[in-house]
Amino acid sequence: MASRALLQCVRSLARPSLRLSSFTLAVRPAVAPAAVIHRPLSFAVDSRRTRRIGQSPIPVVGVLCRQYGDLPPLTLDTIKDRVMYVLKLYDKINPDKLGVSSHFMKDLGLDSLDQVEIIMAMEDEFGFEIPDAEAEKLMTPEEIVQYIADKKDVYE
Amino acid sequence: MANPLRAEVIRLYKNLLYLGREYPKGGDYFRDRLRAAFTKNKSEQDPQKIKEMIARGEFVSRELEALYYLRKYRAMKKRYYEE
Repeated sequence: MASRALLQCVRSLARPSLRLSSFTLAVRPAVAPAAVIHRPLSFAVDSRRTRRIGQSPIPVVGVLCRQYGDLPPLTLDTIKDRVMYVLKLYDKINPDKLGVSSHFMKDLGLDSLDQVEIIMAMEDEFGFEIPDAEAEKLMTPEEIVQYIADKKDVYE
Repeated sequence: MANPLRAEVIRLYKNLLYLGREYPKGGDYFRDRLRAAFTKNKSEQDPQKIKEMIARGEFVSRELEALYYLRKYRAMKKRYYEE
């Protein structure tokens, strides 16, 4: 399939200028074994098509490592920043009183329903579900950070 | 604190909170009402009464689901038929 595509490119290259026809005749037998040498030539003719066709059989290692929509890798610091950011936006928490180790109920005066809402906000932020049994143990920001780091396999 | 029904109540609250996000009047409106309903009965100790309230909460969540199904059905019908 690749050789056929290359032939097509060679033909389209030959069409505008007849002077090149002798050159293409010389190239044509060499197309199948030495496809890589030929690629820069066809590149100029129809770069978009040949690039797509030419890449599929020859994997280019290292260049095509794309991250798509993935977020940068989590670290303990980024988790902590995101947790604190979510908590600051929660309307019943006073951002001035909020610390890494402040207890939601004892220090911040929240009740268990608020705590459920905080856990739901964390689930939304980090995109996974926290089971009820473990959610009710998470009472301080640092416990939440530790729990998320455990679940996402983030270590020091 | 160590009421065995506590986990059940929290589960119900969370479930209703999820359902309430789609509420026509807005998730915040629903959340405020839900919280008021839960805090109103927070000192209830009788297990029988708590169970009745949980059953009522389950009923509300089923009603909400029915509401959403109906809304979806109406929207689809509106798009496919003239009437």
